[in-house]
Amino acid sequence: MSAANEKAHAFVAGLAASAGLAPLAEAGRQAMTDLPVPTRKSERWKYSPLTPMLVTPVRTAPAHEGWPKDVPTNPIPGLDAYRIVLLNGQVVAEACDLPVADGVVCIPLLQAMAEGRIGAGDEDWSAYHTREWVGAVHAAHAQDGLFLSLESGVVLDRPVLVHHHTTGENVASCPRHRLQVGANAEAEVVLWSSAPEGASGMVNAVLEGKVGAGARLGVDKVQHEHGAVFHLAHEHVTQDKDSTFRIHTVTVQGHWVRNELNALQHGSGSHTIMHGAYLPKGQEHVDNHTTMDHTVPHCTSSELYKGILYDRSTGVFNGKVFVREDAQLTNAYQQNANIVADAGASINAKPELEIYADDVKCSHGCTVGQFDEEALFYLKSRGIADRAARALMVQAFIGDVLEGFGQDEVAQEVEGLLADRHGWM
Amino acid sequence: MLTIKNLHAQVEDTPILKGLNLEIGPGEVHAIMGPNGSGKSTLASVLAGREDYEVTAGSVDFDGTDLLDLDASDRAREGLFLAFQYPVEIPGVSNLNFMKAAINAKREHQGLEAISAKDFLALVKEKSALVELSGRLRDRSVNEGFSGGEKKRNEIFQMAMLEPKFAVLDETDSGLDIDALRIVSEGVNAMRDAGRSFLVITHYQRLLDHIVPDHVHVLSDGQIVKSGPKELALELEAKGYDWVKEEIA
Repeated sequence: MSAANEKAHAFVAGLAASAGLAPLAEAGRQAMTDLPVPTRKSERWKYSPLTPMLVTPVRTAPAHEGWPKDVPTNPIPGLDAYRIVLLNGQVVAEACDLPVADGVVCIPLLQAMAEGRIGAGDEDWSAYHTREWVGAVHAAHAQDGLFLSLESGVVLDRPVLVHHHTTGENVASCPRHRLQVGANAEAEVVLWSSAPEGASGMVNAVLEGKVGAGARLGVDKVQHEHGAVFHLAHEHVTQDKDSTFRIHTVTVQGHWVRNELNALQHGSGSHTIMHGAYLPKGQEHVDNHTTMDHTVPHCTSSELYKGILYDRSTGVFNGKVFVREDAQLTNAYQQNANIVADAGASINAKPELEIYADDVKCSHGCTVGQFDEEALFYLKSRGIADRAARALMVQAFIGDVLEGFGQDEVAQEVEGLLADRHGWM
Repeated sequence: MLTIKNLHAQVEDTPILKGLNLEIGPGEVHAIMGPNGSGKSTLASVLAGREDYEVTAGSVDFDGTDLLDLDASDRAREGLFLAFQYPVEIPGVSNLNFMKAAINAKREHQGLEAISAKDFLALVKEKSALVELSGRLRDRSVNEGFSGGEKKRNEIFQMAMLEPKFAVLDETDSGLDIDALRIVSEGVNAMRDAGRSFLVITHYQRLLDHIVPDHVHVLSDGQIVKSGPKELALELEAKGYDWVKEEIA
């Protein structure tokens, strides 16, 4: 075993095997030995090597002793939502508030397994563990999460908030969620992750979704973690015909973040919206890898990611768009814009379009720039101080990402947190 | 109001202003004319505090304050205003939020509370009428998609909102048709009063038919080489600048 692999295996030695998801866990364990630990040599991990994470081994937290009193179960003031809360990957049942209604199953994932709601051989939709070592690590140690299933035509009356909180040092969490939205059903989900100062370790989260014919799934995803948490997230959503999948991903704060988002259109007439924003500072690292896969005709997608990088932070944007041979009349849009605010910061941006159909409309753009000094001077010449002028420009820059959130309360809270963090007015 | 003494300024290593002297009293309107490259826009930029310009000698006193000691935003809060020759488009920043931030920055400087939403809207209504700036333009992003004339009207709208003590109009007439020129000039004239002074920088005499100056100066090679009453502008229009150059040679 190579030195790198030894380190990787020492890193995960303290993780408890997945309890309730045995077949997947076994496949994950096998894949962990078969798959290479990603290094800089791998194109997909070139700008986000795992080396800094692997330095300090992590362990699964012991059984929780209830939700911490000083942490709000719902961190979003004014948001009226159902709620499932997880502490270090474990559902804290007494702090949840889940809907009970006809046509709705909204329960912890382990409960769904125990009740036989997930069929044998159907435990895994993304096959993430067969593709990535970190996916295998997740599968082998997957814990608990949200299981949401809507029968056809059911419109959930409130969003479901999924709040994951990391606490403690060198803790490993592997939350796992499954969302299945039946034909013409509609659901909104808020994924919120938090951690206090002093927290450290790894969050390795997977969300799998299926959006049925004519159905809608909207996700507001916010990462707001203090401390030194390495956060790996993978969302894998497939869409049936005439469906809509929307996800907004905003990294308010995170020590080291890798988001891997895949949307696959399997039915014609589908629409996908993938918007995101990242504003790392200090020495933070935020990586967004997205894949938009158009496999059938008459589909559209809109992707917009904006980043502002401060201090010595680093960012990665890698946006793959596939338009397969059969995906005629696809209309795909991708835009990634970055402001490198300080000389020590950097962004590695890479749009990748692979188009095999000949009658399609695909546009993409990628920009990396600095603050527009002429605009700054214009604002300052009206009496607005330098810092306030920069804040106005930053808010304007990411405004079109924030305004698309499914829940206004989430957008407002995110804007408030960013304002506090960056000293906006 | 404003006293400029022996002002020298350069961009990178090229000297542009070479000992400029100018005194502008309260309520006065001064026009500066001059050929291309004489330093007109440099003077406007130096007064407004643009950082690319380095002042190497001289002083600018603004109502008892050393203007050169202040950064651009402080100068504005002290009551200086520059109407840009090329107003900047700022996508995503709404014109009204921009003005509100500017007004509140000034009010904070004066020890006043932030303006109420009601008072602000009333002010916007009053001042935009002055330059016939439609609601459509007011509510858009700063200058985004504005025509040349709309941008200049927006400059005067901002000036009216901020009520400066001293305003520099940098070639505000460039790119204006006759109607826009009239609207802009009427806006400026409505703001003339005993306590407010203007420095009007222009190439052409026609603006000065509308905004009638008290004094006209000719800037050439970084210095004011000739000053006179408003009739001087007519003389320059008729004879060109070579006449002045010959006179001072």
